Order: sequence, then C-alpha cells, then structure tokens
Amino acid sequence: MITRFVSDADLAALTAELVAAGTRVIAPVRDPADPARADYRPVARLEEADLSAPLPRRSLKEAFLPATEVLLRYRQHKQTVELAEVPTAFPPAVILGARPCDAAGVEVLDRVMGWDLQDELWFGRRAATTLVARACPGEDASCFCTAVGGGPEGTRGADVVLVPADGGHLALAATAKGEAFLAAHPARFADAGGRDGAAALAAFGAPARARAEQALPALPAGFGQALAGAFDHAAWKGIALRCHGCGACTAVCPTCHCFDIVDEHDGHDHGARRRSWDFCQTAKFTLHASGHNPRPTQTERYRQRVMHKFSIYPARFDAVLCTGCGRCSRTCSAGMDLPEILGQLVAAVGRAGADERGDAR
Amino acid sequence: MTALQELAGQLLSEGAVGLVIGWEEGPRGARPAFVTRPEDAGRLIFDPRCVHNLAAYLHPRRRHLPRSGRTAVVVKGCDARSVAGLVRECQVKREDLVVIGVRCGGVVRDPARGAGLTAESVSDRCPGCEAREPGRADHLVGELPPAPPASTRRADALAALRRMSPAERAAFWDGHLSRCIRCYACREVCPNCSCVTCRADVARPQWIDPSPTVRGNTAWQMMRVLHQAGRCADCLECERACPADIPLGLLGKHLLDSVAERFDHRPTDDPGVAAPLGAYRTDDEEEFIL
Repeated sequence: MITRFVSDADLAALTAELVAAGTRVIAPVRDPADPARADYRPVARLEEADLSAPLPRRSLKEAFLPATEVLLRYRQHKQTVELAEVPTAFPPAVILGARPCDAAGVEVLDRVMGWDLQDELWFGRRAATTLVARACPGEDASCFCTAVGGGPEGTRGADVVLVPADGGHLALAATAKGEAFLAAHPARFADAGGRDGAAALAAFGAPARARAEQALPALPAGFGQALAGAFDHAAWKGIALRCHGCGACTAVCPTCHCFDIVDEHDGHDHGARRRSWDFCQTAKFTLHASGHNPRPTQTERYRQRVMHKFSIYPARFDAVLCTGCGRCSRTCSAGMDLPEILGQLVAAVGRAGADERGDAR
Repeated sequence: MTALQELAGQLLSEGAVGLVIGWEEGPRGARPAFVTRPEDAGRLIFDPRCVHNLAAYLHPRRRHLPRSGRTAVVVKGCDARSVAGLVRECQVKREDLVVIGVRCGGVVRDPARGAGLTAESVSDRCPGCEAREPGRADHLVGELPPAPPASTRRADALAALRRMSPAERAAFWDGHLSRCIRCYACREVCPNCSCVTCRADVARPQWIDPSPTVRGNTAWQMMRVLHQAGRCADCLECERACPADIPLGLLGKHLLDSVAERFDHRPTDDPGVAAPLGAYRTDDEEEFIL
C-alpha cells in the first residue's frame, strides 16, 4: 500500500482547500450539548471535527442512503402527469475519519445495491465520495468487529486509511481511488520517510482487536448454513423476550438498508415520491393487506433480523450483513445485546454443515 | 438472597405466577428480565439502574412472552401508574397480575453509565418524586432509600421553552424533529400506546406523511403526545428509547402540567380514578368548542 504522511496542519489545510473547491467534507463532530456523543456531519473547517470523538451515534450509511430522499416529483395536469426526476450525479464529497466498521458497512451494502439493478442514487453518491477511514482505538465492550471478519485496522470499504502518528497521520491508499486522492494533493500528503504503513496500522489496531476478540470469538465457519437449518430451533423462543419491536437498532445500524417508497402530496395536484428507511422490527413491516402477518410476534421478527444478517445475506452476497460496530447494543433501551445473542446461537446451533462447506460464512 | 428474589422464587414455586418480569444484570447494565423458573429468581436485581418501565411488557400485544397463569411484574412507584393505566383502559385485568412494588430512591437516565445517583445522572422524572412507595402493589419489598438528588434540569428546560415566542419554539422543535427517523421507538416502548393499529400506520387515508421530514415528524409527535393527554405516566421511556435524542419528555411534561391545570388530574396508580380523556363530565368547560 502506498503510504504518505499528513501532518495535523496539512490535514486542516487540505480540509479547507477541499471545502473551498466545493467538496463536501463529512467528519465526526462532537455534540455541543453532550460532548460524550458525536455524529458524522459536514464541516467547513477541520477544527469543527474531532477525529478522536466517540463512535458517532448514527452510522455512515446515511451519507449514501439518507433516512429519506426524493426519487421523483410529480404534478398532475388535467389529462397528464408531469414527472421530474432527481439528479443521480452528486457533487464531490470526502468522508474524513470514518470508523473501519462504518467504512466496511458501505462495501457490504454495495453488493445489494448493485445486485439486479444498479441503485443510481447509492452509486451516484459512492462515485462522488472518497472515503477516508481512520484506524480505530476501539469504543467499548460492545465492539465485536473481529467476530464478523473486520477489525480496528480494517481497510474494507475505505479508499484511504489514516493511522495516528507523531504530529499527524500516516495515510495508506487502500484503493486506486485512494491512490489518486493522495496523488492529487502532493503538498499535503508528504513522503512517509520509509515508515511501514501496514505495520503501523496493525500495531495501532492491536489493543482494540484484542478487546473485541475477547467480547466475541470469530463466528465459526458454517454458522450461516447452521442458522439456515435451525429456523425452528428452540433457541429462538426466548431470544427476543425483552425486545420492544422498535426500530432503533436498525436505524443506527451501518448495514440495515430496508426502505419503503411512498408518494406524499404537497398539495392537491403535486407531490413527491420518497424512499425512506423502513424497520423490520415493527409489526407493520410484513403485514399483508389481508391482515395476515407472517412474522406475527417479536420472536419471528428478531429471528429475521439475525437470519438476514448472518445467513440469508451471506448466502446471497458472500458477506455478513454486520460489521460488529455494536451500535444496536448501545442504542437498545431494553438491553438486547447482539454479541451475547450470537454467542448463544453459536452454542445452540454451532457449526452444523461447516465441514461440508468449510467457509467462514 | 434479597427479599425480591425470595418473593419471586416463592411465587413461581407455589405456582401463583408463571412469569416474573423484573430486572437483571446485562452486558450494558441493568435490563428487563423474564423469569419462569424459581431457581432463576436469583437473577433479579433492583438498584438505581433499573430505569426501565416494565409495565410495557404487560400489554397484550407482547404476544411473544411466555405467559401461563398470572404474571408478576416488579414496579417502581412511577411504573405502578402505568400498570394502573393498563387496568383502567381494560388492556389487562388486575386479577391476572401480581404487582411487586419496590421502594425507590430514584433511577439514573442511562443504565450503562453506572448506579451513582447525582443531579447529573438522575432521571428527569425522579427529583421531587412523591411516589417512591407503590402503595397499591400486592407486595412491597426493600427499604426506602434516601430521596433522589434534587435537579432543576427539566424545570429549567421547560421554563426556557415556555418563555420562547411561538416562532422560537417552532424553531426549537423543528431542530429536534429534523433528526427524527420515524423508527417509532417512542411508540413501541410506551405502555400507553395500545392501539391495535396506530394512526401513523394507516395508509388509507394517510393521516400523516410517513417519511421522516420535519412536516411528517411534527405531525407524528403531535398526534402521539396528544393521545397521551391525561394518560401519560411520565416514565420518560419514549425519551430514553429515542435513538435521535429528541427531548420528548418536555412535550409530555408540558401536557401533564396542562392537564393538571385544566382538569385537576394527575397520573395515579389508582385504576379507579378516570382520566379526562376517558371520562365524561358535564362540568367540563369545553370553551374551545365552537
């Protein structure tokens, strides 16, 4: 990997240059009302951001899949309906200081967004955005990125990864886009003086990796197949007792991506077709027009959430739909804890089928 | 073994109840617990991290709980008002419940941040609490701890809100409600939200915009809060559950104060006291009806 060095002053200067050139820069910003919390927000200057801020409350997915967005606008005339599509090309953006679990989530979602048709809005934003992640010092005991194949030193989904170094950061290009980004700003990304970026990255992530590995061991090979064969296992029965069926965990999740599309009137003859996040944990999500609900209680709804993430999506897209960020555990008002539940499921259904398939999904 | 654990174990082993809903130690602090076997009663705890209002689990829509026979629920004094609400509104029969009251010295806002009660950590509903002993419970356990620490945080925030001009207040709520993502966590955790089909989920007609824009979000919260008039027990679970950190408790508290002023009604743990929204009184002022 190409490694450069960027000093704190140069990173601030780079941010200012990017913003001045019309690039949207999004970075972790502490909440002024509660500095123990942070969000990914557009910034005008690097001083507004804090690259060492706590894990942002909401994930990075909304930089590419906003909570709500207009797909088209319509106006009814007497005989016709006039449609106005929204642009699918976006101004350039740089995400500065994403957590590796958030960057990985974006790559996980590329797979479903580009599956049978290319989601123009998702990939429009993806094409316009350079994703600069920052090696992770770990957040707290709810982190389990290493159990799902990630890590605090992970580069998945990132174009560039920053590693804290004396007076600034080492910048490692993880993709061709990242290489181009470093090359486009030669005055800011200086020679790394022979320092080994990959070794620095691994060393910086090691303590957080050790803690995450302790929180939950890597999911066993064949876990997804084992789950698929355990749809009616007794282990599901008690799994969601405390779950209220609110959508908070899915809202903050970097990989939950279900959406609903509705037409909303702004007046008697015009309005907009919007797509907005939807939440599989509510009863309405699968309610049929007939009144039948194939997932009648929270047991089935929570099972679906686990199945989709750890069995269905891996079987279809060759990636676990979870990056181990732990936001679901931190957000849940009822104390549902996904790593704990995964541990229980591993114990209950284990690795059936692992020998035949032998893969890590 | 604490008195709470002993009582729960006894109720289960005698077959008086099939399920005890209380609190236990979880990976991120106290959390709701569901105990069906007497030998598991030792899991039950009560301390200032037990902020959760467990009455929400009594609602009949929680059909995934292992109910057999009567259900015991552990309540603080504030939670007892929610149990009474469910009984008052015929969502649950009092005789199907065994209510275990715990004497309470206040709870924290975030159970993951430790049990220490300070003016900063204490839940907004606790300072000045007059319901620290749930008197109508079937069993009352524990010693009465010292009163919760005083805090004027909520009173100050409400006073500031009431001093604002309507335009300023609208801007305040627009700012907060622009973050709402319509996950409906506020609704799902609420023991009072008992509609089989919420108006927000009705598509024909579409009463409110379902997408998370300020317009739809404002309509949603106005509808949710007004449906709570005189019913809200001020447990603040809506505010705690909100992943967008919207200060929903301010809406609830203002409404609570309005109902107290206009109808001389305060939330009570007595299911026999009718709430204004569910009562007909000929001396209602009704001056707002044209």
